This record gives sequence, C-alpha cells and structure tokens, in this order.
Amino acid sequence: MKNNKRFLLICLLIAVILVVLPHVAGIVKTNVFITFAISATFAVSLNLLLGYTGLLSFGHAMFFGAGAYTTALVLTHIPGIPLIPTVLSGAAGAGLLAVIVCPLLARVSGTTFAMLTLAFGQLLYVVCLKFREVTGGEDGIAGFPIPPFAIPGVFSLNMKDPFNFYYFAIIVLGICLILMWYITMTPFGNTLIAIRDNPRRASFLGIKVQHSKAAILFLSGTFAGVAGSVFALFHNVVSADAVLNIHVSFSPIMMSYVGGLGSFIGPIIGSGFIGLLDEFTSRYIQRVDLVNGVIFILAVMFAPEGIFGLWWKFRNWLSVGMGKRKSQEKS
Amino acid sequence: MNILETKDLSHDFNGTRVLHSVGLNVKQGERHAIIGPNGAGKTTLFNIISGTYVPRQGKIFFRGKDITGLPPHTLSRMGIGRSFQITSTFQRLTPFQNVRTAVLSKRGIRLSLRHRLDKMVGITEETDSILKKINLYNERDIPASLLSYGKNRALEFCMAMATDPELIMLDEPAAGMSRDETHEAVNLIRQLTEGKTMLIVEHDMDVVFSLADRVTVLHHGEILATGEPKEIKENQAVKDAYLGEVEL
Repeated sequence: MKNNKRFLLICLLIAVILVVLPHVAGIVKTNVFITFAISATFAVSLNLLLGYTGLLSFGHAMFFGAGAYTTALVLTHIPGIPLIPTVLSGAAGAGLLAVIVCPLLARVSGTTFAMLTLAFGQLLYVVCLKFREVTGGEDGIAGFPIPPFAIPGVFSLNMKDPFNFYYFAIIVLGICLILMWYITMTPFGNTLIAIRDNPRRASFLGIKVQHSKAAILFLSGTFAGVAGSVFALFHNVVSADAVLNIHVSFSPIMMSYVGGLGSFIGPIIGSGFIGLLDEFTSRYIQRVDLVNGVIFILAVMFAPEGIFGLWWKFRNWLSVGMGKRKSQEKS
Repeated sequence: MNILETKDLSHDFNGTRVLHSVGLNVKQGERHAIIGPNGAGKTTLFNIISGTYVPRQGKIFFRGKDITGLPPHTLSRMGIGRSFQITSTFQRLTPFQNVRTAVLSKRGIRLSLRHRLDKMVGITEETDSILKKINLYNERDIPASLLSYGKNRALEFCMAMATDPELIMLDEPAAGMSRDETHEAVNLIRQLTEGKTMLIVEHDMDVVFSLADRVTVLHHGEILATGEPKEIKENQAVKDAYLGEVEL
C-alpha cells in the first residue's frame, strides 16, 4: 500500500511538472524537451528488442523513418485529414514495414540479426534518397500542413502553437511509454526475457521463439513509428538524413547502453542524459559526437548496467551503510 | 501400453553412423534408463526424440502419434519435457521467474497481453508452491546465476516438471555432482516423477539402478539389451561391452 501511494505521488508530481514546464521554462527549452520525449520513446521501443529480447538492431531507424515518411506523405496527399489519424497512419506504416521484414528477421538472432537490420535500414535509406518522385530525394518532404487537434463543432486546437503541440506530443508519447511499460509487465514480456536468456530452453518449455520475436518486432516497430510520426509533425519536415540515416539507428542503442539495458527506465534516463549533454557540449565544442563516443565507451567498460545500474548500486551501498550504522547504534 | 516408441531409427553426422535401427519402447508409467559407453549415441537418441535433430531414417511415435521431426515447442505442448546435460536455466532471471515461465507455458499463457503478471495470483501461488517443494523458496528472488550448481540442476529439473509433462526426459541429471548432491537429486527425482513416465540417460550406475524400472543398453548406436536392472546386470553381452569396466 505504501509503495502504491508513493508511486501515485511520483506520477502526480511528474504530471504537474509536465503541465507547468512550458510556462516556466520558456518555449525553447520546451522544444528541447519534446525532442527528448521523442528520442526517449524511440529508445524504449528499441530496448524492447535489445534489452528485453536480446536482439541488437542496427536498423531501428527504418521504423522511425517509416512512421515519419508515412505521416508526411499522408498529410501531403490527403487534404483535411485530422491529426489523430495521421499519427495512427505513421504507426501503421511502421507496423506494416515490420510485418514485411519480420518473416526473415524473426528466424535469425545475434550478429545475423544485427547485419540484416542494418541492411534493411540502409536499403530504405537509399530508396528514400533515390525515389525522388515520392520522397523528395535529399530535400525530403517539407511544408506539409499540420492539422489542428479538433472535435468538429466542439473545439479546435491549433497545432502550430508550440504550447498546444507540446501538450499533444507529451500525451501521445506518454501513452506510448505507458503501453510499452505495460507490455513488459505481461506474460508476453516474461516470454521475451526468457527468449533473451535462453532461447533453446524457452522452446523446450513450449514457447514458439520465432512467433514471439515476430510479435515484438511488430510492436517495437509500431511504437518507433509513432515516435517518427510525432517527429515529422514537430519539425514539419522529413528527410532521409534526419530520420533514416544510420546515426538515427545508433543513437537509441547508445542511449539504452548509457541509461541501462534491460530496465524499462534506463533508455529514458539515457536519452535525457545524452540530450542534456548534447545541449551543453554543443555550446563549447563542435565535436559533440566525440564526447558522446567517449561517454559510450566509458559506459560499456565501467558501467555495463548503465546509469540506472550505477544508481541501483549506489542505493544498495547506501542501504548497507545505513544498516551497519544502525546495528552499531544498537550495540 | 507404450507411451513412446521408436521404429528403425537411424542417424549419422556427416557419414559417421551414430544410431542404427534403434527400436526403443517406453511403457506408460515406467522409469526407463538408457545406458552405454561414451559415444554410444545416447544423447543423440535423446536429442532426436525431443526434437533437436530430425532423424535420417525411422519414425518416432508418442502415444501412437507420429512425432518425427516436430519442433521442440510442439513436443513440449504435447507433453514431452526435458532437461539438458549442461545446465540450462534462465541465468539472469530469478528461480521464481524461471519456474513461472514454465507454469505460464503449461497453462498456454505465452503471448498474452491481457493481464499484468503481478496480478495473476494463481500463477504466483503455483510457482511458490513448486519452489517450496524443491527448497528454493528462500532464494526465490536472486538471479539463478548466483545459485550453486546443484541448485541450478534442481531448478532446471523442476522447470521441466512444471510444464506437467507425461513423459519427462532427463539427460544425465547427476552429471558433475558430489555423492551427497547426487543422493539428494535422486530423491528429488523419485519424489517428483511419482506416477510419471521417465526416460533418463545417466553414467552413474548407482543412479540408474536405484531409479530405473527398466534399462536399455546402447552400444555403437545399436540396442544391445533391454530389461529389468537385474537382468541387465547379469546379461553377458552387456558385461562384455560395458559393465565389465564398472564395479557393480
């Protein structure tokens, strides 16, 4: 009961902070926060594969990109489409891509999986660069209309207003995060970590390993698609370099590693940390990637459980210390 | 009645003959041991029955149904459970999560997104009661990688049992154990497999003769003899091939 109350309190606190944030921090910092929320959702969706199922994907940007491009294309070609369907179309686009690639990807694991995802990701990147008639090539797609969030006859919120968009993005991405967290708490989530630890044992317990992998690929891809869709709406421009480049695939991997693999909160911490670091270092030097790279190497070498793992160790250390002090007081 | 039957089962690895025309019969409710010298093909036979390899030739029948070449997960769902020679648990998960995975699978809850695991009281209770049976309840929340070897073996055996199989296959359950641990393991196996059909591969003759109702001797990939432990001990061909080396 006590834990429940504390949990509710923390949720309430986070909600209050999120509501007042744009009014306190100003619009520039609020936009930084939206970028963080997008990358956090993207990183958590990757972590469903990497941390929970043990599948290292080097091409997760393909789902992010599919979501972004689908949203941009839908907005360009279907006039008057409302806001929510555009986000759902982004999810559907990425989900469809996952359905197309999963028959192959679900059959492999380890290095083969990493290389195949890399190949698919790069393939989509090149297709988007070359298929100019549809994707706009290197220029990408820009200037598509951003529909208002509206219920006809009741209300209409202009999404070009940064404050309105902030609330919209936070709610959509928040729902995604809650849904993904819920997945990890279900029997399906348990099946995933069993496959990660020992796929052979899992199959001898009656688990269809390939089916389960296909299912999580679909779910993970779909959520990455939503993140991509919000990205497209936020920037009002989609280009192959911004959403499909290999860097887009690598950054959530780095965020997950730095924040802590296997824990749900780890990638969120990681994306917050890397986001802040980027903001900070870019003021002083141009080589932001160099700093990120060093951080990544340090995390892999000295904190394989990431920041979350360090925090956990620190807490244990603290509680052991407290216990000792208490027992000394008693004696 | 035979619960498991292999007919004319043959297998080779790159031309090297490992099994030749093996016809194994396991009766419902018996504890059946397969013994034989190293390289006799015991583990290969085991792996073929449990679905790891597809045999070159021959058929396998489980309760009269042809199961030749079916994948492991299908066999598990039909009621064949197995443990491995090299301990195979979910190392990063706790004993509780290990056993719960098996319990969930037995109930057919594998891809469900409908409930939260921590709210499924029935599953938790069943898992805990299994852990209590094998004296792992006190360690229920520490990673399996931190448990002793013997406890990991017990955990694996009990995961295989938690799927409630009709036929349980154990591949050298006492491998690498001390005398005391072996004794404990044998007791646990006897207790948990009461009334079940068991097929076991084992090197330790004490384990074999204290557990098995019937013994099959495999030699150079062929069945040399099948019978009750007593008959096997006295069989001259078996003695010549194998048991002569071992103190009985």
